Amino acid sequence: MRWLSAALCGVALLVAAPSSYGSARPPSIQDLEESLTCQCGCGLTVHSCNHVDCSSAIPLRKEIREQLEAGKSREQILRHFVEKYGEKILSAPTFQGFNVLAWTTPFLMLALGGLGLVVILRRWGRQERNRSSAGPLESTRSTLVERYQRKLEDELKRFEEV
Amino acid sequence: MQNIDVGAVALSVAWLLALYGLVVSLWGGWGRREELVRSGEHALLAMWALVTIATADLVHGLVSRDFNLEYVAQYSSSTLPLHYTVAALWGGQAGSLLFWLLILCSMSAVLVLQNRTANRVLMPFVSATLLGVALFFLSLLNFVTPPFDRLPFTPGEGRDLNPLLQNYWMTIHPPSLYLGYVGCSVPFAFALAALITGRLDDHWIRSTRRWTLFAWFFLSLGNLFGALWAYRVLGWGGYWAWDPVENAALMPWLTCTAFLHSVMIQEKKNMLKVWNMALVILTFLLTIFGTFLTRSGVISSVHSFTQSGLGPFFIAFLLLAAALSVGLLLYRLPLLRSENELDSILSREAAFLVNNLVFVAIAFAVFWGTIFPVISEAVRGVKITVGPPFFNRVNAPLGLLLLFLMGVGPLIAWRRASWSSLRRSFQWPAVVGAGCVAALLAMGVWHAWALVSFSLCAFVTATIVQEFWRGARARQSIVGESFGQALARLVGKNRRRYGGYIVHLGVVLVFLAITGTSAFRIEQQVVVKRGEAFRIGDYQLRFDGVRAWQTDHSAHLAADIAVLRDGRMVDVLHPEKRLYKKPEQPATEVAIRSRWGTDLYVVLGSFDEKSGSATILAYINPLIGMLAWGGLVLAAGTLITIWPQRRARAVESWAAEHRGQRSAEG
Repeated sequence: MRWLSAALCGVALLVAAPSSYGSARPPSIQDLEESLTCQCGCGLTVHSCNHVDCSSAIPLRKEIREQLEAGKSREQILRHFVEKYGEKILSAPTFQGFNVLAWTTPFLMLALGGLGLVVILRRWGRQERNRSSAGPLESTRSTLVERYQRKLEDELKRFEEV
Repeated sequence: MQNIDVGAVALSVAWLLALYGLVVSLWGGWGRREELVRSGEHALLAMWALVTIATADLVHGLVSRDFNLEYVAQYSSSTLPLHYTVAALWGGQAGSLLFWLLILCSMSAVLVLQNRTANRVLMPFVSATLLGVALFFLSLLNFVTPPFDRLPFTPGEGRDLNPLLQNYWMTIHPPSLYLGYVGCSVPFAFALAALITGRLDDHWIRSTRRWTLFAWFFLSLGNLFGALWAYRVLGWGGYWAWDPVENAALMPWLTCTAFLHSVMIQEKKNMLKVWNMALVILTFLLTIFGTFLTRSGVISSVHSFTQSGLGPFFIAFLLLAAALSVGLLLYRLPLLRSENELDSILSREAAFLVNNLVFVAIAFAVFWGTIFPVISEAVRGVKITVGPPFFNRVNAPLGLLLLFLMGVGPLIAWRRASWSSLRRSFQWPAVVGAGCVAALLAMGVWHAWALVSFSLCAFVTATIVQEFWRGARARQSIVGESFGQALARLVGKNRRRYGGYIVHLGVVLVFLAITGTSAFRIEQQVVVKRGEAFRIGDYQLRFDGVRAWQTDHSAHLAADIAVLRDGRMVDVLHPEKRLYKKPEQPATEVAIRSRWGTDLYVVLGSFDEKSGSATILAYINPLIGMLAWGGLVLAAGTLITIWPQRRARAVESWAAEHRGQRSAEG
């Protein structure tokens, strides 16, 4: 079970860390367009909105290009848009302040669920072990019991495989 | 003179019957008075007949173009083709609630007729629950949004169905989703009945297994149809935008899928009783939550065709249902304590539990992302957007984990797996998965997510093929059949298991489509004049001008786009722009060339008459075709699982299962 918890935590870290933040790469138009939400009500990103003469996506695309031509970094450009249009323009929550909860809660719940699962599985496993070790036959005729157990296991396996 | 509509009368009588049926069913159930229970069931059947009449009356109004009916004037017109006129039944609010109610009543009626002699202890409370849900919808239809309201005058023409809805998917996507949504109320009703009566063995689960699969089947198809519809109609090159209403349909699917898996542990080992109850209740509540999201407009969505002030009613119903079911669950907790035992962490039971955890985690992530804007506004007073980038990033790793489990779970032995059995099961699939990575790397594919996803797809496929292969070989050597015969018999005798594998294959195909389109999609937006060409992928597209024409219904403008490959013309595509006349609304009609599962998808963005230049959007969506194929395979697998076994065999397998259960318990 330990590997599972470790794997889950690893995955959580890998994903929750917003990869493109503060990266040194020059910002691409597509990346910026996908980081902003079209305000026409379509619910899509500026990149995806395909409304004819969209009153929001088209000017926003132009604005992104202007910002890029001014030589700003990705972060500066996004800040510009947030200041101008409010935080709702970003297509995904930032990784700051209260918004951290948006990203981390799902993984926190997964981790908690995983932890709960581990606890429950251990308890059930222990119950099972207690039950089998408490058997009075165990010590006296252990070989016989083992033989029957093996036979039972085999039959069960065969039953399940059919 | 205002004529009184048959449908309106039918709905009010149906409301009375639902109330009466609810009361006598509960009374009969508690007082053990069979005649009252029967009376409640008869009320349910009569209600079903009346709701059918009401629906027929509304369809009649639509087809006969009775524009004096507000609903007809609002959602249809005299030029609307017949099939869309009928589909307008679920094109607007009141109609879609009526349609929902019709499905609910029809299912309830079938259920009552099926159980005339069976499940007599549970049935009063099953009918009561279903009548309660029906009563809610009937109250909305009678007092809040009556579908038979008439206008003070008769307009000469209707305002027509939203053009976005005028698509052949309109005739099948909403009905299948509704069937799926409503189907989830059947296991819910049985679960409540089991909680009320205290009959908490797995009887209620066996009685509803087919219904749950039925609901799951339609939920799956409804979601896939919606994706295909969005892909063909919305014209942005994608098929899933993590729109709140899409999320609303996905969440119950996720919890229902989790339930279909965890229920097997209860059947085999009598464990997880509380958890299964919780999943059924959660699934039902999520279907109501989904309807609430669609109808309330609390969260903006592309599906907000019909929003109105229904939100508070749905919230109230949701809270009531939640309080009732959770209360009952807590009340029965002592009875639900089961003998939980686990032989080993390396067992199918444990794998199923992890599978459940991941399904519920994805459902939670989707739920969280959907409501986070509301939370943010409540807490910080700041409106924010939680869009596709969020959902993609959070769900991609969870989805891949699920894909992995799909390969591992079914092959781990029940109870306890030994290392040698693991090696025997996973040796070859692991080799296939690793081989897939090597092959992809050799082909120059370096996209990390895609590598993981494709190799997992290969791994899972290998596990499934291996299961079929080994099963058939075993039959061949024991019974002496030919391989084909052995394969067919193998599936026929173990419909549930091998049908399940086929469903898994369908899911693999869907994963292929998702990976292909999200990792390797190419897009191009160009402004071209007549005769000019541009390149996308292996194709060269040449713009050969536009044609315009009109119908009664709409104005069309189509571009002629020649598709060339290696200098040879292979196709001509005609992406269209349409302007619907009533209401005046533009729409796009994309043109698609599908080859080997990969689509060339072309949209006519705009056309400027003066300069004669067109804006063309072109996309190459690799493997998108696997989405539809995956749907087909998944549907076929589910049908195999759901198909009734012949009675003798069913008895035989029932006996075998019970033997197995007893020996597993002892």
